[in-house]
This record gives sequence, structure tokens and C-alpha cells, in this order.
Amino acid sequence: MIRLEHVSKVYKTSTRPALDDVSVNVDKGEFVFLIGPSGSGKSTFLRLLLREEVPSKGTLVVADWNVGRLSRRRVPRLRQRIGCVFQDFRLLSNKTVAENVAFALEVIGKPRHTIKKVVPEVLELVGLEGKADRMPHELSGGEQQRVAIARAFVNRPLLLLADEPTGNLDPDTSQDIMLLLERINRTGTTVLMATHDHSIVDAMRRRVVELHLGKVVRDDARGVYGVGR
Amino acid sequence: MRASFVFSEVITGLRRNITMTIAMILTTAISLGLLGGGLLIVRLIDNTEKLYYDKVEVSVFLTNDVSASDGQCQQQICSGLRQSLDNNAIVEDVVYQNRDEAYARFKEIFAAQPELVKLTRPESLPASFRVKLKDPQRFDAISKEYTGKVGVLRVVDQDVLLNQLFEFFGSFRNATFAVALVQALAALLLISNTIQVSAFTRRTEVGIMRLVGATRWYTQLPFLIEAVVAGLTGAILALAGLFFAKGTFVDDVLKAPIEANIIAPLGYADVFQVSLLLFPIGAVISAITGYVTLRLYVRL
Repeated sequence: MIRLEHVSKVYKTSTRPALDDVSVNVDKGEFVFLIGPSGSGKSTFLRLLLREEVPSKGTLVVADWNVGRLSRRRVPRLRQRIGCVFQDFRLLSNKTVAENVAFALEVIGKPRHTIKKVVPEVLELVGLEGKADRMPHELSGGEQQRVAIARAFVNRPLLLLADEPTGNLDPDTSQDIMLLLERINRTGTTVLMATHDHSIVDAMRRRVVELHLGKVVRDDARGVYGVGR
Repeated sequence: MRASFVFSEVITGLRRNITMTIAMILTTAISLGLLGGGLLIVRLIDNTEKLYYDKVEVSVFLTNDVSASDGQCQQQICSGLRQSLDNNAIVEDVVYQNRDEAYARFKEIFAAQPELVKLTRPESLPASFRVKLKDPQRFDAISKEYTGKVGVLRVVDQDVLLNQLFEFFGSFRNATFAVALVQALAALLLISNTIQVSAFTRRTEVGIMRLVGATRWYTQLPFLIEAVVAGLTGAILALAGLFFAKGTFVDDVLKAPIEANIIAPLGYADVFQVSLLLFPIGAVISAITGYVTLRLYVRL
């Protein structure tokens, strides 16, 4: 699903590479935690997968797309196969829950009847049935993140990227969100989650890729957060 | 592409920045209105030129002795000149005007200045041939042929006088275009600024659109349509303004010179034809400004 071969990324404004000769393979259907301190390169890793940035060196393949060589015109196709969830939810405050989810399909030109069918389905999957007409400010943080996950998943992506999705949530709510991400992962969607949350990583015992100063310093098949530290 | 979605985004965008939108529309309307005004002046000049060229004459003034001695143009010098002009291939019509007729015309023209008429004696006005050319531009040929001939005082082309009038019209037109240009620049900057503000206020939507894989075209279209809507609304206001200006004061101002046949009349059809040009101009310029702004300043 994801293949990085000796990938480096150097930003013009920095002398040190944000990613330095990184090689990682992620198979279809895997659940991977990407951990490391601030500035270790986690965000750059995710931005490269989304083709927000282009690698300075190396090969990066997502599904069957060679992301580094992807023409600008074909980037939207790649992004339609990737879902994204963020710490700050990024919901549209002037749209209802259902409209927020539908927005992701509207802007890629999906027909109205498809949207009408799949939006309630995905809201049910994330446990928000009956809240379709609520506005984001009427929801709790956990519920808002569920809406964001529903929006990321509504187009059935091959890959779900989650950047600190529990960063703004209390431990119980974080637990619920992780259960939801696991559920999504069980449908066959690959999940890559960048996090600082020790307890979650330790509890889930999934694959852990640790970055430090742009290098992969650990890649454990069933890891915990703080081993060897 | 979902048209309903794009249009709902456009309406949301225009409503969110309502004051900027109004300013953008008004500035566009003023610059398009001035452009239309300039184009109407061009049309007025063209019509007036036609009006004058239909009447324009060359005057072949005769010397004093011929003017004084041959009131009916029957003697050899005068009749010889008339025959030569009549037979000239580029001449359409020749009318002889003797000294008395010239004086009568002078009195008619300067009826408003009786002192001038009182001071002028018929003897000071020369007799002349009023020559109408088949092609008014061929004055040089006539001038070359008759200047210096026996009995000819001088050859005068009315076109020279007219050119001064048209130069005045021309400078008025250029001034209007100059103001229109400055206004157009202000309109372009305002359109550009409004789009930037619009993109900023919708940065979350735009960010999500990019992340979920909306094409660049889909993301840009609402902003471009906003700009085009402003351009077209400006054109409608400019059209209304031009019709209003014609109906309320242009007709009044031009009434006297039009009745005196000094300038050609300007009809509603002229205003309408010029206004129709403003729509594509407004739409295309707004769209190009929008596109360039999005490419240069907004990450979509």
C-alpha cells in the first residue's frame, strides 16, 4: 500500500533534512502508528503521502501511484483514495453533520443519489445516527472527531491518515475514537496514525514506526511507545 | 460536475463579502460605463465625420478684379475656370457664388454679430466656386491644379477646419478612455482583492476540498464565477447608466448642435450596441483577473 525507498525531504528554508533516507513498507490493511517527538518528521511523512510535498530524493509509492512523479493534474485522483483526520477536526461550522460529510463527495462530483445513500450509512458506522442535522458546535469533541472520520471514510479510501486524532480528546473519548479507527481498519482500509499518545499505542500493540530527526529509528511489528527510552 | 453545488458556493461567497462585492460591482460598473462613454464618443465622431464629408466642399476663391468685373461668370477667365472644373473627373458638382451672394451668405452666418456685418462691405468678399469632390480626400489634386491659375486667389479645403473640430472630439475621447483605464485598474485590483479575501474566508472549505481530491478546476470555479458575476452585474449597471445619461442630460446638451447639423445625432440603438460590447468585456476581464489572482496569490 505504501512504499518508501530511501526517501529524503529537505525544505528550502532548512539545512537539516526533515526526512533522511527513510525506507518503510506498509501492506494493505495494516494499522501503523507513526511516533516520534515534535520535529521528528511525522508531519512531513504524512504530507508526502498526500502529495502536499514532493520527495527531494528516493521513491514513494502509494497504492499504485508513484507519488514523486505524479503530475499535478492527477493529484486529486490520489487524494480521492486517501482519507485524512486531524487533531482540530476541521469541520465546516456553517454546515450540519450530514452536510459536512456530504461536502467531501459533492466536491469530487459524486451524484446526488449516491450521496443521499452513503452519508446516512457512514454516520451509522461512526455512531452518529440521529445527529445528522446537528451543527458542529452542538456536538462534543469526540462526536466532532467522529464526523471528521465519517467525512474521511465516506468515499471508502484505501488509506486513512490520522494526524494526532486524539490530541484534543480526553482518555475515554480517545479510546472510543481508537475503537472506531480499528473498526474502519477491519473493513480493509490501511490506517496510518501519527500520535504522541503513549497509552493508546501501548494498549493497541500494533506496528510502530518511530522517527527521530528525520530517520526511522525503530520499526516494531507489535510495539509500544517508549521502548528503550 | 455538480452545478447546483458550485452555484451555492458562489452565492455563499458573494453574500459573505457583501460590502466588498458591492464595491467591486460599482467600480466595475463605473469603469465599464466610462469605457462605453468613450466608445460612444468614437461612434459620434464617426457619424459626424460622415455627416460632414457628405457636405464638405472646396472653395476656389477668385481674385478681386474677376470678382468685381464678372458678376455672372460670363467672361473668359471665370467661364474658363468653371468649364475646367465641370470637366474635371474628380469633381462632382460646381456652384458659382458671386460677390453679392457671398455677402448675403456672410450676413446670414454672422446675423448674431451685426457690428461685424456693418463693418464688412460686399467688395471685401471674393466670388468663388463651391466645388464638391467625388472623394473629399482628393483635395490636394484640386489645390495643385488651380492654385496660381489666372483669376484664382486661393483654394481652401473645409476639411482642414473640420479636422480641428475632430481633434477636439478626439482629445475628449482620449480623456474619457484615460479615466476609464484608471478606473479599470482600480476595478481589477478590487476584483483581485475580493477574490483573495473570499479565498481567505473560505480557507477551511478550500483546504478540505484539496484534501478530499477536488480538482483544481472545481476548487477555482466558484471564485471565477464570483468575479464574472461581478463583471456582468457591473456591465448591467453600466448599460443602465449609459441609457440614463442619454435620456437625462446628453440629449439636452447635444440638442442645439444636433439641430444645427453641427454634430450627428446619437440614438438609443447606438447606446445599446455599445452596451452589448460591455458584457463580454466585463466578463472576460473579470475572469482573467480572477484566474491570475488564484494562480499567483491563492493556493488551491
